[in-house]
Amino acid sequence: MGGPIASLNPLNRADGSASYKCVSTGSNILGSVNAPIELPGRRDALKPEEATIEVFVKPGTAPGGVGERYIEGVIRNALGRLILGRENGYPRRGVVITLAIVGGESVGRGGSYLPLLPALLHTAALALLSASVPLSMTLSATVLAVDSSGEIIREPSVKDAKAATSLHALAFTSKGQLLLNESEGAFDFGTWETVYERALAICHGTSTLSSDGDVAMTENVDSQPLEGVLRDTVQDQIHSEYAWKIDAA
Amino acid sequence: MNKEALLSIAERDFILDALREDVRLDGRAADQLRPLTLSFEEEHGHVKVQLGKTSLIVRISAEVAQPHDDRPFDGIFNIAMELTAMGSPAWDNGRQGDLETYVTNVLDRVIRHSNALDTESLCILKGVSCWTIRADVHITDYDGNLIDASCIGVMAGLQHFRRPDAVVKDGQVIVYGLDERVPVPLNITHKPLSVSFHTFDEGKLVVLDATRKEEQASEADVVIGMNNAGDVCYLSKFSGSPVDAMVFVTKTTVALDKVKEINGIIDKALQADLAKRAKGGLAEESRAANDR
Repeated sequence: MGGPIASLNPLNRADGSASYKCVSTGSNILGSVNAPIELPGRRDALKPEEATIEVFVKPGTAPGGVGERYIEGVIRNALGRLILGRENGYPRRGVVITLAIVGGESVGRGGSYLPLLPALLHTAALALLSASVPLSMTLSATVLAVDSSGEIIREPSVKDAKAATSLHALAFTSKGQLLLNESEGAFDFGTWETVYERALAICHGTSTLSSDGDVAMTENVDSQPLEGVLRDTVQDQIHSEYAWKIDAA
Repeated sequence: MNKEALLSIAERDFILDALREDVRLDGRAADQLRPLTLSFEEEHGHVKVQLGKTSLIVRISAEVAQPHDDRPFDGIFNIAMELTAMGSPAWDNGRQGDLETYVTNVLDRVIRHSNALDTESLCILKGVSCWTIRADVHITDYDGNLIDASCIGVMAGLQHFRRPDAVVKDGQVIVYGLDERVPVPLNITHKPLSVSFHTFDEGKLVVLDATRKEEQASEADVVIGMNNAGDVCYLSKFSGSPVDAMVFVTKTTVALDKVKEINGIIDKALQADLAKRAKGGLAEESRAANDR
């Protein structure tokens, strides 16, 4: 299975941006972050000591609706745990995250956004990194479908997701803690436990914490852990941006 | 909000003084377009347009729906454009600004009202079902001349798009999947494009394809919508200071040249994409003609 393809900073105007393509689901997301930005006329609604996070999901070929507003809330809550909104310059300002679904099959009216959730979260995380928004940690996410025979399908296609008995989207912080858990359909605790184990392995591999606090990642059956893919994307970008310095040394 | 930060007086004067000496910030001539590149994605009707630093994505989609009661023979065609904070930090998500209303209106007039897409050909069964074609314009980078860039994107998308084949059998509508039958191109009657000009210095200086800074420093804009044959289908002088009538006369000629040039670029990009797809595509497989 091919891993996702991601790149940082494809856009000029936004403070930070990322494009993310998930090979198995075929979705292609473009994300941009503007932060910190002055938010007009909503002083009363703001928490004065924290930054306000705004998430906007723009579907590719349909007008936005309730489904988008719902998933925006889910993403906002997850990212709210990562973004350090009290850092210098952020209180009373806004972090505006715009995610446009530019490729792949779009979610129909009333359709589930769960299969797209990991791609949206990854794009948002990469865009936040490229905008240099202070974060406490990063995240990695995956979606698993359980079919009627109890088999787990990783990042199911639209067809597989429709046929599945239950869908589970899980996100983990870079420290391996469970950050988000959204499930759909009928399942029991046992199923969820196995799904959780599998998702953790997909996102983090069988990681071992070495004595100096570095997370060493090893590859397993699910190819490279997603956490590593995101790390590599950022590393590649930094490498190319600092080529002048690295070459000189 | 929903407004770009204003230019400083020094910056405005600099642009104006340079223009008086016939120099533009990016070194172009007054009637020169920025470099235009079009690229098509795998999906039909998915176009990326890059005009200088302005870039956008257009996606065309088709859906079967019921036609409007008063027009049972007509299909439905909509152009949807929503400016998000992605294109420019000055735009608010989910709030409509003046620019959005203006650009949507021009696109509607140039492409939809000039009947570029023959909506009658979208009818499947009178009064019961028809195709709804939707063009979504996603602005990814805004650096001026949104109107022309989106016009190019929508027109290229419409020409690139293929809708699934639909057949009426015993009063039942059957829609064939994209892998069952060769998808059908849309019926394009003509290829209108818009060309915008901005005027400076009491209408003495007229510049084509202004960048964002030039737009902000300008006094007024003139938009001409035209097709390859030179039929003017839209002409507007929306706001700002007056413009001499002769500008319209002389600039329509320039606009015609530009429309032909841009349509040439679109055709070339479409041909290149078609050649790429021809290898091993469904259209090739289902062709009846023998190779000679």
